[in-house]
Amino acid sequence: MNRTLANNILRFAGLLVLQIFLFDEIDFLGFIDPMIYILFIVLFPVENKRWSFLLLAFGLGIILDTFQNSGGAHAAAALTVAFTRPIWLRLVYGESYRMKNLKVIRTPIDRLLLFLTLCILAHHLVFFSLIIFNSSQILYTIKLTLSVGLASLIANSLLLSLFKPRVKT
Amino acid sequence: MQQIINFLIKYRNLLLYLFLMVAAVVFTVQSHDYHRNTTIHSSGNITGSILLTKNSFYDYFKLQDQNEKLNQENASLRMRLLEISDTLLGNETTFIFPDSIPYKIFPARVIKNDYYKPDNYITLDIGTDQGIEIDMGVISSTGIVGVIDHSSNKFSRVISILNSQISLNAQIKGTATIGSLKWAGNDPYRMSLEDVPRLARVTRGDTIITGRQSTMFPPDILIGVIKDAQLVENGSRYKINVELFNDMTNLDYVNVIKNRDIMALKAIDTLGTNE
Repeated sequence: MNRTLANNILRFAGLLVLQIFLFDEIDFLGFIDPMIYILFIVLFPVENKRWSFLLLAFGLGIILDTFQNSGGAHAAAALTVAFTRPIWLRLVYGESYRMKNLKVIRTPIDRLLLFLTLCILAHHLVFFSLIIFNSSQILYTIKLTLSVGLASLIANSLLLSLFKPRVKT
Repeated sequence: MQQIINFLIKYRNLLLYLFLMVAAVVFTVQSHDYHRNTTIHSSGNITGSILLTKNSFYDYFKLQDQNEKLNQENASLRMRLLEISDTLLGNETTFIFPDSIPYKIFPARVIKNDYYKPDNYITLDIGTDQGIEIDMGVISSTGIVGVIDHSSNKFSRVISILNSQISLNAQIKGTATIGSLKWAGNDPYRMSLEDVPRLARVTRGDTIITGRQSTMFPPDILIGVIKDAQLVENGSRYKINVELFNDMTNLDYVNVIKNRDIMALKAIDTLGTNE
């Protein structure tokens, strides 16, 4: 229990530092900054107190918002991913994921990537809708979601491949 | 009563989600809303000092570039100085910078700069301790940068000219034609000058400068050149595409301008007609 707690604190702080100091400076093609802090929400233990999970996601988002002057867009997006995560978990791992004491980081890579993609799409869609905040620019919103989403997926997969423990086969 | 409590317990997570979501959306709406009532901003002391540390890492990569810029600015300033001393030649007075200049200039460093969002902000490393106030104009060596919109004691936030909420008074150099300068989004090198009357003389390549109606910027600060123009609103007004002199994607040292007479100007502006 204590180890998971320490792990999660480390992840929270580490991803935040990485996001602010490194990934916000990438500016690929001028506007693509991969978002990797979402990994904290993706990898959060499945058995959790729901309200503390929501509050943590919100807090993580609002910290990034202060750095990027984006109002509450990060917070809203992170919160939505945290709230809808059970739906994506059920979609990817089946109804029985609760029984199996599932650890997301130890699951096979194909499932994990699918789960990651769903979370990133949900996150980026909410995020860019709030950033653009203009229903007439919906195509631009979708374009941003997909292009930045792809970059986020690549960056997140790279990080995962670095830190994912080997599964014995 | 029991049922209400049961309901609250049953849906507590949904309610928490909705509550936090509403808070986040309110912050977002505030940030899209013109002016300084934002709760979430990057000029707080903790955020500011973290951004400052981060900037000190990335500074080393820009040294060469910044040196070149400073060099160019020095050269152009020296040219101006020579020009002035030339016109003063033979005159008794040699005071080039008398105390009566109505502008004060504060040098500052950019510690955070955005340019690809629809609403961009810049964070500077000086604040109210150094005398920075809201609504001061910010320029760089090559053109205008933005307007101060929030400041703490050590840091301040600037509304970049690349922000959909900004609208600045600008003028075509050599004429008295004025318009309002706005950013349409997407391209950090282009802005548009709107509300220019149809009868104005608009020529490609003409320079756009800050207008005399602006209380934030001194007149004659460079903005950009006219790229092209089209008539809008049934041909009654021009919408001019302006290519900026300033490279907004590459800012490091900027100057904040304080207009001594701003209060007097505002007081005159708001005088009623019946008084």
